Amino acid sequence: MLTRWNDLSRTFAALEEFRRHINRAFEETDYPRWSHQTNALSARSWPTLNLYDEGNKLVLDAEVPGLAEQDIQLSINQNVLSISGERKVEAPEGYAIHRQERGAINFARSVSLPCQVDTDKVAAQVKDGLLTVTMEKSKEAQPRQITIKAS
Amino acid sequence: MNTEMTKKGVDKPELVQQRNWKSPPFDIYENKDDLLLIADLPGVKTDHIKIHMDKNELTIEGLRTAVKHDHVLAEESEVCDYRRTFVVPPGIDEAKIKAETKYGVLRLHLPKSEAIKPRQIQVKAG
Repeated sequence: MLTRWNDLSRTFAALEEFRRHINRAFEETDYPRWSHQTNALSARSWPTLNLYDEGNKLVLDAEVPGLAEQDIQLSINQNVLSISGERKVEAPEGYAIHRQERGAINFARSVSLPCQVDTDKVAAQVKDGLLTVTMEKSKEAQPRQITIKAS
Repeated sequence: MNTEMTKKGVDKPELVQQRNWKSPPFDIYENKDDLLLIADLPGVKTDHIKIHMDKNELTIEGLRTAVKHDHVLAEESEVCDYRRTFVVPPGIDEAKIKAETKYGVLRLHLPKSEAIKPRQIQVKAG
């Protein structure tokens, strides 16, 4: 009887382990997840950001579908770039809802840039739901060609 | 009307895969006149969205123009195309399907044909 009980508890332990695995797998995905408690998407990694180095400037891309220019706040403090805003998703009037995968979201993210940028020379635009921020590197951070003199 | 009209990730075998694609998030709404599909397709130009109906399968494709970057510092989302197929319930007037985009969001109206719209029947006193 005792052995059987042990077998049983071992089975449950395995189930518990499996459940933890599944939970971890879901935590690791970067896809915005719908939370039923707050009725909003998880703001941890929305929008997704891509950062590129183009020699004398840095380029940041963010996928912000549904957001207009005035919905996004962008600021640069030293070498930290912050992006925040809110996306509202409302069911159109008079329609019944079958499925809602696009959620409303309040977001705020900050990224530290790898070098100082010239804050006067930052350009940002939103096109087709894609935000592009072009930041010119400050003078000290610009790549410089050094000519080697023959002696 | 049948609410189970979604079919995720249907692949047409004859399509040659060139770039990764993902299935974009969709909202589906319905009123008495039409079905309304709203999708997030960030980065897709309006003329790069392809919508086609094959029998009862509606496929929405969005192709992105990728800019080549030499030095990637961080990349949280890979640039990929979007594709999603839905099984549409019968009674959609295919000729009147309308689509519009704004800020990377696609709104697709699928009007119901007259035959399946709910109708009020007047009862006459005899």
